[in-house]
Amino acid sequence: MIKTEGLTYQYKNQSEIKFPDFEYSQGEQALILGESGCGKTTLLHLLSGLLKPSKGKVSINNTDLNSLTGSNLDRFRGANIGIIFQTPHFIEALTVKENLQMAQTLAGHRKDEKAVESILSDLGIGHKLNASVKNLSQGEKQRVTIARALVNQPKLILADEPTSALDDKNCHAVIQLLKDMAAKNNATLLIVTHDNRLNDSFNQKLQLS
Amino acid sequence: MNLFKLSWKNIKYRPLSSGLSILLLAAGISIILVTILTTRQLDDKFKKNVENVDFVVGAKGSRLQLLLCNIFQVDNPTGNIRYAKANAIKMHPLVELAIPLSIGDNYQTYRIVGTTEDYIKLFNGKFQEGEVWNEPMQAVIGGGIKEKFDLKVGDTFAGGHGLGESTHSHDDVLYKVVGILEKNNTVLDNLLLTSLESVWVVHAGESHKAKGSLEVKSLDELDSLAKANMMTLDEFKAQNAKEIAEEDAHQHDDHDHAHHDHDHDHVQKVINYDSLLKTINPLDREITGMLVKVKEGSAKAKLSVSATINTYEGMMAADVAIEMQLLKELMSPATGVLEMLAYVIMIIAAISMFVAMFNSLKDRQYEIALMRVMGSSSGKVFASILLEGIYLALLGFTAGWLLSHIGMQIFSGYLSEAYHYDFSGWIFIIEELYILIGALVIGVVAALFPAYKAYRADISETLSK
Repeated sequence: MIKTEGLTYQYKNQSEIKFPDFEYSQGEQALILGESGCGKTTLLHLLSGLLKPSKGKVSINNTDLNSLTGSNLDRFRGANIGIIFQTPHFIEALTVKENLQMAQTLAGHRKDEKAVESILSDLGIGHKLNASVKNLSQGEKQRVTIARALVNQPKLILADEPTSALDDKNCHAVIQLLKDMAAKNNATLLIVTHDNRLNDSFNQKLQLS
Repeated sequence: MNLFKLSWKNIKYRPLSSGLSILLLAAGISIILVTILTTRQLDDKFKKNVENVDFVVGAKGSRLQLLLCNIFQVDNPTGNIRYAKANAIKMHPLVELAIPLSIGDNYQTYRIVGTTEDYIKLFNGKFQEGEVWNEPMQAVIGGGIKEKFDLKVGDTFAGGHGLGESTHSHDDVLYKVVGILEKNNTVLDNLLLTSLESVWVVHAGESHKAKGSLEVKSLDELDSLAKANMMTLDEFKAQNAKEIAEEDAHQHDDHDHAHHDHDHDHVQKVINYDSLLKTINPLDREITGMLVKVKEGSAKAKLSVSATINTYEGMMAADVAIEMQLLKELMSPATGVLEMLAYVIMIIAAISMFVAMFNSLKDRQYEIALMRVMGSSSGKVFASILLEGIYLALLGFTAGWLLSHIGMQIFSGYLSEAYHYDFSGWIFIIEELYILIGALVIGVVAALFPAYKAYRADISETLSK
């Protein structure tokens, strides 16, 4: 489903980073582990097409990301990849519901209020539907970002340190939710992290050096 | 959730900075609009009021004042001229029309103008009720006067001396309303018109009151005919009382005013005006100005007429076209300054809008990156920010537009009180469309650079922060 070959990225300061080749099939869940500064976020950006590799390629469902440019790449990303970031960010002027609907329309999907409501209640924050995103707790915010990443039922879910800001209790709850939701949609889930609390929850692990 | 909604919500989310941009834009736009609306309405009135007049004849003094006083009914008269002398201009073969005006009294600060019926015709005045005067002390009032004071045909009123708020009124002789004109957006609207004789009659009594007896100035100028017709006011009163008594004796039964028998001091209504007028030397009958229209209005004809008038002792002719041009030139720096101020405010509004959007986008870098992650193209991001500028411009225009028209309407009450000119806030002009386009251009220009920055933003870098 997702496959990398000879992926290399050159930073602006000329230093180069090489990533190991890997391939995951549809529905697989894996951790990509590494210490801070080893290029985890860079890898995630390469996988989602936010960065272009200097060498090598990323294919998702047999589509080479290098072959997509401009708005095609943006659209492909919106439709196929759900991304969860380390710190939850939203379009602050919008409510929870509107943020999710924005995700739907920007990905080229139709506005589907039912899907928004059901995913929010799956994540246990159905009652926050019309709340302003500013007024959410940290845990709620992370859940809304998960909801936003999943609302379009992407085939690939990428998460960048999704638990680093959460306490143990919330950490396990959020990971469990991610795993469950990915399984429900049969999506491939890749979590980039240095959080050792997640080690036990995943069988597949890839260590970056 | 489409881009239109998103941009709208983004504006609403920042009420202070959006509000400031809107306020500044609205201020600039309303100043421009008020300036345009006022000058447009003034121009329009000016044009209507001078349409058929080539010269204003009056006492020597400021030509512009002569014009302002006798055409626009705003400034004071330059002085009086003798009616008999001014009337001579009618004999000039190239003069089509000469309308005498006698200005100097007021009713509640609105001018009472002694004139002839031609004055009403000059402005195409139409009667909504009643008809023109046919004897002294009858008055025709403008449509605006009727609205302001609720005067009806048959009502009487006393004129006040002077043009401002009067210290004393001529309440010994009352005017009677005999006609009401339709409003037609000319000076007629706010005038009370009467015959020249009325004004003379009113002031005959005036002179008597002030000095105890009717005193004729410059006796040496009187011709023998006038001398023969002169009598003192006491003589006049005696004669008048006698005539009335005779009249009463004749029609005693069907006369309404039964109390005449008891008290002759309260019977001014039956003053014999012809007799009273005889107490004023015809050569002393004065007017404040005369409006002259030249046949065919060619430059040569005008020159000939004005040359003739200027030979009259103590008189001059003000060329309306020339004075109007002068008036415009006098006004243009004032409106120019206002317009300049408005443009400066508009530029400040544009800068403020730019700064506001630029700052808000700095805070929203992550949001922009998020939009891209969610599948938005950079073009869409660009459009959404441009849209914010357009919204701000539209809101600013709408606010400024409302402000100017409502303000104009409120202001018009003040203007009408101060200058006796009616303005309206509910007049719409094509320039408003140009100003709308201008406002949109400002919105787009102010948003262009922030939008471009967002368009070019390195989302990976933003997201890694």
